[in-house]
Amino acid sequence: MSVLSLLTAGEGMHAWAIATAATVAAGCALVGTLLVVRRMSLLGDAISHALLPGIVVAVLAGGRPGGVLVLAGAVAAAMLTVWLTQLFRSAGGLAEDAGAGVAFTTLFALGVVLVTAVAARVDLDPGCVLHGVLELVPFDTIPIAGFEVPRAFLTAAVVLAILVAGAIATWRWQVFTAFDSGAAQAAGVPVAAVTTGLLAATALATVAGFEAVGAILVVAMLVVPAATAELLTRRLHRMVAVAILLGVGASVVGYLAAWWCNTSAAGMIAVVLGIEYAVCVLLSPGDGLIARLFSQAWFRWRVACEDQLAACWRAEEAAAHTGMAPVLRRSMPGGSLACGWLATTGCLTRSRRGWMLTPRGREQANMVVRSHRLWEAWLGRHADVPLDHLHPPAEWIEHHLGTEVRRRIEAEVGLQASDPHGRSIPPEP
Amino acid sequence: MTGLPALSYNTMVVAVGVASVGCAAGVIGSLCVLRRRALVGDAAAHATLVGVALAFLATGRRDLPVLLAGGFASAVAALGVLVILRRCTRTRDDAATAIVLGVSFGLGITLISGITARGIPGGAGLEQFLLGHTAALTAGDAVLLTLVSAAVVLIVMLTLKEATLVAFDAPFAAATGWPVTLIDYALVTLVAVMVVVGLPAAGAVLVTALVVIPPVAARQWTDRVGTMLVLSGMIGVVSAVIGVSISAVVPRLATGPLVVLAAAMIFGGSFLAAPGRGWWSRSWRQRAVERAWTQGRLLAAAAEASAVRGGCFTRLEVADLVPGDGLRAARQFGAAWQTLVREGAIAAAPAAAEARLACVGAWRLTPMGQAAAAERARRVRCWKAVLESAPQDAKEFLTIDLPAPETLLGNERAAEVA
Repeated sequence: MSVLSLLTAGEGMHAWAIATAATVAAGCALVGTLLVVRRMSLLGDAISHALLPGIVVAVLAGGRPGGVLVLAGAVAAAMLTVWLTQLFRSAGGLAEDAGAGVAFTTLFALGVVLVTAVAARVDLDPGCVLHGVLELVPFDTIPIAGFEVPRAFLTAAVVLAILVAGAIATWRWQVFTAFDSGAAQAAGVPVAAVTTGLLAATALATVAGFEAVGAILVVAMLVVPAATAELLTRRLHRMVAVAILLGVGASVVGYLAAWWCNTSAAGMIAVVLGIEYAVCVLLSPGDGLIARLFSQAWFRWRVACEDQLAACWRAEEAAAHTGMAPVLRRSMPGGSLACGWLATTGCLTRSRRGWMLTPRGREQANMVVRSHRLWEAWLGRHADVPLDHLHPPAEWIEHHLGTEVRRRIEAEVGLQASDPHGRSIPPEP
Repeated sequence: MTGLPALSYNTMVVAVGVASVGCAAGVIGSLCVLRRRALVGDAAAHATLVGVALAFLATGRRDLPVLLAGGFASAVAALGVLVILRRCTRTRDDAATAIVLGVSFGLGITLISGITARGIPGGAGLEQFLLGHTAALTAGDAVLLTLVSAAVVLIVMLTLKEATLVAFDAPFAAATGWPVTLIDYALVTLVAVMVVVGLPAAGAVLVTALVVIPPVAARQWTDRVGTMLVLSGMIGVVSAVIGVSISAVVPRLATGPLVVLAAAMIFGGSFLAAPGRGWWSRSWRQRAVERAWTQGRLLAAAAEASAVRGGCFTRLEVADLVPGDGLRAARQFGAAWQTLVREGAIAAAPAAAEARLACVGAWRLTPMGQAAAAERARRVRCWKAVLESAPQDAKEFLTIDLPAPETLLGNERAAEVA
């Protein structure tokens, strides 16, 4: 069956399920971005676990799953978690993670006990609350304007609308608080209210999600797209847009993959989110592991080439003193590759007795040695370092100094100065 | 005890298994909480589902040791991924933990429901690892859990010194040559072991509680690491026994959540009632400090008023001189006044003074009250001198405990100031 026929099968059953998952994912990504930049990801985890008792109590009180009462119960449970965490920290001196760990596991255990104690009277399975049954979403519908709309989708859409409205209304405050809550407080932003609002929004997003994708997978939807987007961009509003795109994309791909493999759609969406994150960790330009490895390898190569040139330059200098032929007989470890490369770029030439500098190579080598000796001279003047300890830091920094820094160091140590070992500092070419 | 049904053999088996797990989890959890890695176990626990499902797929059997070995492998793998994410990416610690937790849980659910949907024989009950399923524990399983728990406790006892050092001052430990990273890995691996062993008892979602709640409860009672470890293990055992007993009496209720709730009750009690760190003890100390402070202000105000009015004052005059408005301040003033009268620092003035002040209810400071007021004035002057000469020292001491100002100022200078 092709994807298109899958989407239209059974009166758009799968399409509705995908739409529900995508709506939940969009809301979660919006809230999750703020949670991630505020380093409150684990509070999202705690809240999503702790919803269970709130939902059970609300259902026992006569609320229908997805109804306003259940929503209120869940938000109340979430706020209780946050309040308990704060109380344990301020009054008991507990670390934040330990306090949250105590609060949410206790509330979750309470929820499980409540469910099993009154299992006959409520239609709730703790397993389903944990991992959700996205596939069943299209079968519970209410008619709206002649269409049979799944109730879970309706809940998710309303919650998304609330979240978007809230985000638009308070965005500036949220951003200010997220990046510098102290300054925000001083500037008159109601920081406590802003934080409470964010936590309430987290609770809402989690509640909208728990029915479709389950409480724990909501954690994946909250945190993973935002963390992935953080690897790709450093601007907050772009991060939100990218996170929403990633979340919605993972919902579609995950649902289809789950249908293909005949397994849990919610679980598969989390797996796809994980794959997205892994791909970005590896491939992100600038920050990705591969980009980093590449730039490290490139740097090592540059260092090897420059060390080779400098060695040739020093051999020439020594030859000028002793009157022997200016050649480098023994190359450094791993240097023969670098020598070969330098020869093809026209910095070295090969004679019968060894490698020799070309004028172009001499100019580059000059700069490396100049950086090295200038740094030794500067260190010798300003740092209390014995003579034989000057070489290693200079050997390291000679690859990093630019023309401007060299000029300023020279201005400080004096134009005619030599390095602390008594060798002259070559002039800027 | 005819009210309780006799504990069946099966209940005993479950109780022994869960209690040993509770004990070892409490012990290793203490180190984890002290090292501020309380939720590392959470990520490991959620990741165990993957290994359980894979181990089942690989062997096709539901032996507890095989499934737990799979769970252990995947928990360690998840912790490895966590370390890599923390070290090599821009993602921060909390987000990395949440990512590992959410994604690995999703993968576990995907695998398990794939197994269930394909109707592989024996795969139907794997979901029980979500919330724990102690009733299925056999005597052999209980022996396995007990042995592993005992091994973990033994390892902790042998490496307690190193683990304590790293938990309290990792930079110092690194500087003195201890392999901090290695010790950290060992700690995290032991936590993974306990989380996996706790799976049958509490399930993947709640096993974190066994590692977090008993240590946090024990911490309320003591400042010594050894005592904390022992207490925490005991709390783990007690809550396991309570949980198993209740679920034996009320068969519908799952054991794992009951064990967690029992531990949470013990934590709640400790949080409120522990001496020193407990809520009540703290607020009592706070009130004592407030009382002493108000009495001091009152004495100073009384001394000031009596200096102005020639040895006598009215209560209203003193109240005007003590800063603070509102009902609370008024109540504190009243209480302090009564205390001082009862202790004999303030006494009713002779009738002549009343006539001189032209009012009813004149009071005077007794010689004892005058001495107390003078002593307080001297201390205030000394503290002012401390704050002026060495404000940093004073600030440091104020947060720890209020010493006598002479210790900071030196006796001669104190006498000079006074």
